[in-house]
Amino acid sequence: MVGGGVSGPWIVALGDPAADDVGLVGGKGAGLHRLVALGTRVPAGFVVTTAAFAAAVAAPEEIEAPLRALPADAPVAAVEEAAAQARAALTDAVRSAAARGDVPVLDAVRAAYRELGGRAVAGAGPGGQTGAGSGAAGGGTGVGATGHPGVAVRSSAAAEDAADASYAGEHDSYLDVVGPDAVADAVVACWASLYTARAVAYRRGRPAGPMAVVVQRMVAARAAGVFMTLNPANGDRATFVCEAVWGLGEPLVSGTVTPDRFAVNKISGEVVRREIAHKPTRLGSAGTEPVPDAEQDLPCLTDDELAELLRIGRAVETAAGAPQDGEFAVDDDGVHLLQARPETVWSQRPRTVARGRTALEAVLATLTGGDRDAD
Amino acid sequence: MPTDRFPSPFDIATPEGAEGWESMYDWYHLFGPERRELDEQRFWFADRLHHPDVLHPYDEIQCECWWQALGAFNTRIFAMPPAYGVDQRILNGRLYVTPVPAPPGDVAARAEEFGKRAGHYYERWDAIYAEWKEKVLARLAELRALRFDPLPDLEPESTVYEHVGTSAGFRMIRDFNHLVTSMYETYQWHFELLNIGYAAYLTFFGMCKSAFPDITDQTISRMVGGLDVELYRPDDELKRLAKEAQRLGVDLGEDTPAAELFALLTKTDNGAEWVADWERTADPWFVVNTDPGHPGGYHVHPTWAEAPDVPLAAVREYVRRLDEGDAIDRPTDEVLRERDRIAGEYRELMAEADRPVFDETLELARKVFVYIEEHVLYIEHWMWAAFWAKSKELSRALAAMGELDEPEDMFFLRRYEVAEAIYDCVVGWSVGSRPRGADYWRPIVETRRRIYDALKAWEPEPALGPPPAEVNEPFTVMLWGITTSTVGEWLKADDEGGKVLRGTGGAPGVVEGPVRVVTHVGELGSVEPGDVLVCPATSPSWAPVFSRIAATVSDVGGIMSHTAIVCREYGMPAVVGTGNAVSTLRTGQRVRVDGGAGTVTLLDEV
Repeated sequence: MVGGGVSGPWIVALGDPAADDVGLVGGKGAGLHRLVALGTRVPAGFVVTTAAFAAAVAAPEEIEAPLRALPADAPVAAVEEAAAQARAALTDAVRSAAARGDVPVLDAVRAAYRELGGRAVAGAGPGGQTGAGSGAAGGGTGVGATGHPGVAVRSSAAAEDAADASYAGEHDSYLDVVGPDAVADAVVACWASLYTARAVAYRRGRPAGPMAVVVQRMVAARAAGVFMTLNPANGDRATFVCEAVWGLGEPLVSGTVTPDRFAVNKISGEVVRREIAHKPTRLGSAGTEPVPDAEQDLPCLTDDELAELLRIGRAVETAAGAPQDGEFAVDDDGVHLLQARPETVWSQRPRTVARGRTALEAVLATLTGGDRDAD
Repeated sequence: MPTDRFPSPFDIATPEGAEGWESMYDWYHLFGPERRELDEQRFWFADRLHHPDVLHPYDEIQCECWWQALGAFNTRIFAMPPAYGVDQRILNGRLYVTPVPAPPGDVAARAEEFGKRAGHYYERWDAIYAEWKEKVLARLAELRALRFDPLPDLEPESTVYEHVGTSAGFRMIRDFNHLVTSMYETYQWHFELLNIGYAAYLTFFGMCKSAFPDITDQTISRMVGGLDVELYRPDDELKRLAKEAQRLGVDLGEDTPAAELFALLTKTDNGAEWVADWERTADPWFVVNTDPGHPGGYHVHPTWAEAPDVPLAAVREYVRRLDEGDAIDRPTDEVLRERDRIAGEYRELMAEADRPVFDETLELARKVFVYIEEHVLYIEHWMWAAFWAKSKELSRALAAMGELDEPEDMFFLRRYEVAEAIYDCVVGWSVGSRPRGADYWRPIVETRRRIYDALKAWEPEPALGPPPAEVNEPFTVMLWGITTSTVGEWLKADDEGGKVLRGTGGAPGVVEGPVRVVTHVGELGSVEPGDVLVCPATSPSWAPVFSRIAATVSDVGGIMSHTAIVCREYGMPAVVGTGNAVSTLRTGQRVRVDGGAGTVTLLDEV
């Protein structure tokens, strides 16, 4: 269901205790709140809540009408067409409401964005209220020529990043958005991405939304990447793996470049595998740019950064009680955690190797090859 | 050129000058036409772990002891489910072995028996092991009490007045039999606990591997490793003597031979105190065999006690390090803390349902591991050292009696022939007549000495016969370090140019350094700090060298080999079980040793 029935503040800072409510801030927002609460370094930001979405998107039935009219076996082109109509309807409805001034959600977004200017890192600890305007100078990191910070605007649907479905990449994200109006537009575009053909297909008939949107300061990333607190190749939970590239992490996430790959033993901290890729380009705030020759074949993470990332990853995993995957970026301050969520593949599998056996039964299983039968 | 199989044992030529070598070994130990069909289908590998060198005829007993005992305990006593014994053949003086699998159809029934039988031992392990030590030590004392003297012209009066009732000649016959059967019996005891111990260890190993596919063998060993075991005691005693020398202000000199030095030292009070300490320590802690391969495998290698220059060099090295302010003690507490931390953290990462069995198997593995490490001291060092010492005493007696030209000749006779020689000698002595004696043995021994030298020049094939599709017999992999990929490497060895040697990663780390090939403990003096030690295998008598070298590469051994255990303890890389490092690498070449990947890369251009 879209819209209606969600109440609460429109804007919640990531460090705000209210950001613990998945229904209000979506999966990604709540995940980031937990990271902030753990004391990890997370870029400062706020959530445009599902309450804001409900207020701004007044008549969801009308918006969804073209999609509901589709037969179950509608051809792809027809789904694309209906989805485009729904997106246009949503955008129009929000804009006209904003123009009338009776629902000032987008004004609230612009105001929160302006306040964000002063902070680079989300308030550590649950006590931080708004996270915005709290004084600590951001040192200009990610701040555009206008004095406005560049931010990432990402959708945070309530169902996203749950342990059973990642919704990875199904909704839109906008990077390095600068200026209050651009941020407001990006928020609307995120809402509209509920109705991309791929999101509709991914939901397979489940109702959409409501959707929260996370607005976070960009990290001027020297390197960025993804990590997993287990080995995705074999499920080994003592192995921490990470992939990283120079610059922003988006080309890695979208799979358009070959990253450096590292595997670290969680217990010894030893880097047990290190595959350094040739990295001729990187994504910077101005777009794709060449990497200086001397750095193209260098590892983009130092051992210290890997160690810090491992420490962060393990802390998040321990707090969540389950293996995690996540995204990170590295700048001069160190490692920033951009998101973390439960790992969804190996965590679903039974992983006991010898449940309920005595030592002697285990010996017999070893000697007879009975291990292969262990459930 | 790549081939898919190793040569048939029946196609291996006799080295020139070694014609007739078969007469040196027992007929049942040879490839023979009667079982050719069976033997040609089997995959044999050279057992360079236990027997890296040509066997003297007398020393064949070493092989026989474990051939029979390992087999009986696996096959007949504990019903080890997947594995019968390990079969042996001697070819051109080298030992080849092949593990015999149990029939797959019998594995389930054997498992049921094994559960009852081995289970009985596991439940009572510590008590059984305590009894085990007692019986081995009692037998050791008994062996050492045997006397093999030249037979007297006239029996001592005591033979009469104490109603001994037997002659010295008879006692020589009897005591030789006792010597041999004692060694056989000790080997029964050796395998009474060993393979069921390995089975328990492998279980923990396998559990870790299936829960944590990335876990390294070394990490698993570190979780189990008992550090407070007697196997480390000889080296600890060297360190203690070094500290004592420092405390007493005793100057051990640079390279004065031990005998000379000790004589010199006894002239001062402190020196005499130190020498007395050395002598007290030497028995039993320096009764340590110096074989390059498995300790006690050959009669030719002295113990530390017999060749005190070896341990003395080590003590000097420790003194030098103490003088430089180094800590020479093993960081036992630290290693133990680390062991428990690692085990605790892996446990936490296990599925909760598996934690109890993880705890139980780890506890069992730690318990059996003490035996796995310590039995080497009791059997391989103490018992074999006593056996060889008594054998040499007998050989001197026989030579003195004219049965042999010289003592060493005895080792060119098979043990059955030695029994014959004793009888010949005894009966001649008893009757007051003339044995056939040395005149009979002389041509035999001469021929065999010549054959022995010819066999030594032969470089044995690493393996014979068709390789298995997969080497997965757990004991082969763990003990000999032979895996599917090792066998593949052996097959490829001819066409690769030898740039990279592969073995098993025994201890992690990567270093580069100059090769120092050492095939015998007597050559350890040539090792320079920072060298990469390349050797057939190591034993505790090699301990002194580990503080000087940068890495170790061995021809034989798996992750539980002495080399791997010690290198892990010293925190230096080791690649074990390379098969042919000693014959491939030359002293002075630069190599990179990767103890994680198990590779040795030649850096110099060949």
